[in-house]
Amino acid sequence: MQQRRELDQVYINRKLLNGQLDTPKWWAPTVTFLGVVVVIGLVVISIMINKGLGVTGLSRPVYWGLFITTFVFWVGISHAGIMISAILRLTQAEWRRPVTRAAELLTVFSLLTALVFPLIHAGRPWRIAYWIMPYDISRGIYPNIRSPLIMDPVAIGTYLTGSTLFLYIALLPDLGNLRDRTTGWQNAMYTVLALGWRGNPRQWKMQTVGGILLSALMLPIFVSVHSIVSWDFAIASAVEGWHSTIFAPYFVIGAVHSGVSAVVTMMALMRWLWKWDDFIRPEHFDALARLLIVVATGWLAFTFLELTFALYGQDAPEIALREMQMFQWPWNMLFIIFFLTAYLIPVPLWLFKRVRNNIAMMFWTSILVNVGMWLERFLIIVPGLARRTPFVYTWEAYRPSGVEWMIFIWAFAWVTFLMLLFSRFFPLVPLFEAKESQVFTDDVMIGRAKVPAIVREAD
Amino acid sequence: MSTQSILGLFHQAEPAADAMDGLKEAGFKLGTFDVLTGTPYPEGAFGEHVPQHRLFRFPAFGAIIGFTLSVFLTAVTQLAYPMVTGGKPILSVFAMLIIMYEMTMLSGVIATVVGIVFESRLPNMKPGIYDTRITEGWIGVVVTFDDDSKVADAESVLNKAGAVEIKHA
Amino acid sequence: MASEAIAHESEHHAPPPQVDADVIARELIATTTGASGRFKAWAWILGILSIAGIVSLIVKFTDVGDDSTKWGYVAAMVSFLLSVAGAAPMIAMAPVMAKANWVRPITRLASIFSFAGVATLIMLIPLVAILPPLVTEGARRRTIWYMAPDYSPHFWTTLGLVLLLFTGLMLFYSAALPDFASMRDHSTGWRQRLGKRLARGWVGTDVQWRTLRKRIGMFGTFYFLILVFVNFLISTDFGQSMVPGWRDAIFPMYHTISGFQAGVAGVVIALYFSRRFMKLEKYVHLDAFWSLGRLLFALTLLWVYFFYSSFIVFWYGRSENDIATLNHQIKGPMLPVFLVGVILIWFVPWWMLIWNRVRRGTSAMVVGSFIILIGLLLDRIRIFVPAWSVPGDQIHQKWLEVTPEVYWPNIFDILIIAGGISLVALIVMLMTRVIPVLSVWQVQEFNLLAKPIKYVRGHATLVAKPD
Repeated sequence: MQQRRELDQVYINRKLLNGQLDTPKWWAPTVTFLGVVVVIGLVVISIMINKGLGVTGLSRPVYWGLFITTFVFWVGISHAGIMISAILRLTQAEWRRPVTRAAELLTVFSLLTALVFPLIHAGRPWRIAYWIMPYDISRGIYPNIRSPLIMDPVAIGTYLTGSTLFLYIALLPDLGNLRDRTTGWQNAMYTVLALGWRGNPRQWKMQTVGGILLSALMLPIFVSVHSIVSWDFAIASAVEGWHSTIFAPYFVIGAVHSGVSAVVTMMALMRWLWKWDDFIRPEHFDALARLLIVVATGWLAFTFLELTFALYGQDAPEIALREMQMFQWPWNMLFIIFFLTAYLIPVPLWLFKRVRNNIAMMFWTSILVNVGMWLERFLIIVPGLARRTPFVYTWEAYRPSGVEWMIFIWAFAWVTFLMLLFSRFFPLVPLFEAKESQVFTDDVMIGRAKVPAIVREAD
Repeated sequence: MSTQSILGLFHQAEPAADAMDGLKEAGFKLGTFDVLTGTPYPEGAFGEHVPQHRLFRFPAFGAIIGFTLSVFLTAVTQLAYPMVTGGKPILSVFAMLIIMYEMTMLSGVIATVVGIVFESRLPNMKPGIYDTRITEGWIGVVVTFDDDSKVADAESVLNKAGAVEIKHA
Repeated sequence: MASEAIAHESEHHAPPPQVDADVIARELIATTTGASGRFKAWAWILGILSIAGIVSLIVKFTDVGDDSTKWGYVAAMVSFLLSVAGAAPMIAMAPVMAKANWVRPITRLASIFSFAGVATLIMLIPLVAILPPLVTEGARRRTIWYMAPDYSPHFWTTLGLVLLLFTGLMLFYSAALPDFASMRDHSTGWRQRLGKRLARGWVGTDVQWRTLRKRIGMFGTFYFLILVFVNFLISTDFGQSMVPGWRDAIFPMYHTISGFQAGVAGVVIALYFSRRFMKLEKYVHLDAFWSLGRLLFALTLLWVYFFYSSFIVFWYGRSENDIATLNHQIKGPMLPVFLVGVILIWFVPWWMLIWNRVRRGTSAMVVGSFIILIGLLLDRIRIFVPAWSVPGDQIHQKWLEVTPEVYWPNIFDILIIAGGISLVALIVMLMTRVIPVLSVWQVQEFNLLAKPIKYVRGHATLVAKPD
């Protein structure tokens, strides 16, 4: 594929800094609109906290509903960042370059959003401090470290801190660039943030070595986070459909599936909105789609194992649950939509090169995947609780209330709002990576064929 | 005697590398001249002194601290305030391991970031002579002097290599 | 940017100087002829051990053929050999699909391991005869075959393993065609005749190359799918379903992943010895060890991840079958084996491979790989021996009420283990006499695509990435 063009650095600066130096016209109205949605969402959350969880559809025996599903969903999306950024850095994949920053950002902002859900779901968020923070010796109780509900905040806190720092370190050269292009208060801000970046060999070397080292450290954290989230469910032997040893890798690979798809969605939007056709090219979508085929098929294998071993024990309650999940209204409808959107529609489409290189198709298929993956979490969490179990006198299906839906919508507006706000001040595509790619790629002639080639350093 | 420095600006990598070679031949000590670029180049592309670093010690150090803290948080607090939950032992090693793992990694990552900043010799609020065109693809060769007598030598080396512009500070 | 190829200084990762294509062909084909005294001695030793193993297998079958509780070590060996010999060819395929250049020279060595699948098959034959049918004493044990005929596991596992062997050989053969042609052109005697017969008129036209690449991709994909399938069957039908109440959804994946770990370790060992004793330093670069080391490190971490993911669910679950499973697999009589296994398969290699210095060298890498293989063997024994120790009349209970006595190995079991391992090593050794251990055309391709260059004043490698 020969889509790469030789670009001059002034042009790269002008194009990739257009969000900061030459903010597009649609930016202000869009951010204002999203801001309004965010404020409405916050008001609804306040009302819910004031009135109590009675305004939601949560009730016996379904205490985990839309909020926890959405929490798991956003934690899943957050796995895009490190997956793309760290794995592709470690394998030195050349096509990672325009993708890394956006992916890392998605990690940070979706984690920030995910964190909100268990907090507000607790009903009285301030009380969470009692069971998370090791602060209160006088009560004679410390947080129960045997509970996965403690492991969760520890893991997510680690991941959030780590990925924010990772994002900042990789931002340093671009902050130096922005400092050089701006005046006035902006210049002052970027001067402070760039920490005095000059671009000498020592600093560049630290970018490379440090980037690889941080990637290697972040990868095991990324795997642990969703595993720990999955153990919230898996260690509970009382709920059918939850107590499965496969949950940890199953959640992780599902998260990668939805996260990488979210990156595709975002890349398409970035290409359209900021007109970055030179940087975000069909070949990048092609590479992401190939990766997604592998990830999605791996996920399918795990889904297969999950189902197989759920039925393996041949216990009546487990079989009853699966029957409800797959064959009873309305779960069966959700199950069919889930399966079609998460795998059966997108993956066969991605097998065609024409689809992989078509940005609109990639955009819509990646959205489909995330519809499916949200439903997957919903179908894991809710039916297990909603099923009629012995000695329980309520078992009707759970119906999320308007408040829950509003907060659900708020989350999407909030993430987009944060992204756009970030794009006003910082470049979404790493400039130095775009420039480095110009230095490190070349064409070689093998016989009469022109073949793209990469300069590899002796490391 | 005041420290002063000059900055030669080049359009291309090749003449900048010539300038670095010239400075070496003219007897300038390693560490008194450096190259500034707007993008990373393969190591040694300018014949520059390959910087040594101790970055790998930072995560190890951070991990040890994090691990120690996590042992305290998980084991010592549970022993000091014992309360049985879920029928599990007070020292539930397999549950503790998860928290210990996260805290070790967190501390390792933070230490690495500190290490990257430190080994980049940042923050540096007085970075010295600089030109904004370096982030537009120009290449800068900066030479620092302890005494003024060698300024002319350096300038002639830079000019001979084909510097487009020379700045003084 | 223009770049000029230059001879490279001897650095760790520097590819050695460029070698002409005809020199590569001549030198690599020459490695197949002649065998040193040491080679012959080892071949004899391994051959005798293999025969002793096979004889022991027959003796065991005639002796205790109807008592499944005595067959744990054979089951462990099937699993172990499947892990090493089955996964190794995959190691070569996966990075090829990711267009990694370092892997090109060593794909042959990895795919030679598919011949060793014969050893797995030999071990499986008596085991299939011993494996209890799904319904015994009128009760059905818990398996993945809910309503399938009684002998489904026997049939499908055998079929899967035969298919795996066949696909592995096809994968080997389709990638070896150009080398058979080289043997036809540059070799003498029976090797030339073999080359002529198997090259099937290969002359290297554009169409032939295209078909070759397609075939490798196709057989590689099939091989991977069948490998996962066989791992799934062996781990459930020959492991999990032998133990009442053991329901572990991750176990097939655990089995596959640890198999990959063993496969990489096996490739590292074979690469080390062939590089050293056939003097292939010019073609097997330290870069290959470096990359294999990183892969091995990642798989070592994955091992502990998959293990812990399973363990923590049982440990927290505390239902009767959770507790029974833990007692049976870990806390019971197998505890010492388990602990030594964990140390060897995870802790030691993890601590070794984390160091760049280890992965840059060859000797520490090969030591680490041996340690991993020993660890994996112990791990398989820890899993399969107690699983097969469950008496036949308890196999369809809801869970294991009493942890059964573990069957410890007698001399025949030890000979079977030694024989199985020897057979794999012997097959790989003998194959290096038949065909160059490094793929001639892929070494040539490697040299064509990676060129040392001078970049302004620095040294680097320019790696071409054709589609």
